[in-house]
Amino acid sequence: MLSNGSMTFAPPVPLLAASTPALRPVFLIVMGAFLLLTAWRMTRGTHGWTPRIILTGASLLAFGYSVLTPLYQAGIILPMSQIGTVGTNPDAIILWQAAKIISMNAGWLMFGLGMALHAGLFETVKSTAPVQAPHTSPRTSPVHEPVA
Amino acid sequence: MSLLLDFIIKGGFLLDALGVIGLGLVGMAAVRLANRYRSWGGSLIASGALMLLLGRIWTIAKQQLLTPDMQMSIGENWNTIFSIVPMALMTMGLAGVVWGLWGHEQWLREER
Repeated sequence: MLSNGSMTFAPPVPLLAASTPALRPVFLIVMGAFLLLTAWRMTRGTHGWTPRIILTGASLLAFGYSVLTPLYQAGIILPMSQIGTVGTNPDAIILWQAAKIISMNAGWLMFGLGMALHAGLFETVKSTAPVQAPHTSPRTSPVHEPVA
Repeated sequence: MSLLLDFIIKGGFLLDALGVIGLGLVGMAAVRLANRYRSWGGSLIASGALMLLLGRIWTIAKQQLLTPDMQMSIGENWNTIFSIVPMALMTMGLAGVVWGLWGHEQWLREER
C-alpha cells in the first residue's frame, strides 16, 4: 500500500468539503443570510451612523454571497471569460460582473469601516496613569555611575 | 457601454484594493475588540479576515505563477492543491467572520 505512487491524490476531508461544487453555494447562501441576520440583531436598538454603515456593508455582502455567487456557480450568469462566445449577451455579462465586484468590494469596505467605528479603532485610549517628569537626568542615574 | 467596460477592466484593481482595505479594517477592528473588550468573537473575526486576505492573495498569485510550464513541471497533485486551497481559505474565512460576528453579538447581549 505504501509503494503505489500511481494512486490518485485525495486532499484532506475539510478541504474537499469546503470546495465541493455542490456544497459551496448552499454554504455561501446560508453564510450570507446569517451575516445579515447577525448584523441586524447586533445593531438593533442602536442609533447613529455606525449601525447604518455596518448594515449597508452586511447587506451588500449578503447580496454578493448569497445571490450573485450561487448564480455564477449555477451557470445562470456567465463569467467574463465567456464573453465573445456565440449566443451570449456581452452587455449582461459586463453588467453582472460590475454588480459582483462592486457589491463584494464595497461590501467589505463598508463592513470594515463600520466595524472599525464600532471597535473605536480611530480613538486613542487615554492612559489613567499620572504623568510625572523624570527626577534625574539619565546621566546621573545610578545605573551609569562609576563603581569605584 | 464601452465606458463601463473600461471602468471594469481598469478599475477592477481599484475596487479590489478597496475590498482589501475593508478586510484589513475588519481585521484591525476585530483585534481591537478582542484586545480591549475581551470579546472572543473578535479573535475569530480576525482570523477569518486573515484567511480571506490570504485567499485573495493566493488567487492573484496563482494567475501570475501558475503558467502552463509550471503546471507541467509540478504535477497533478500540486495542481489540485493549488486550485483547492484558495477556495477553502475563502470559504473558511467567511465562516470565521460570520461565526465571530455571532459570538460578538452574544457577548454584546450579555454585557448590556
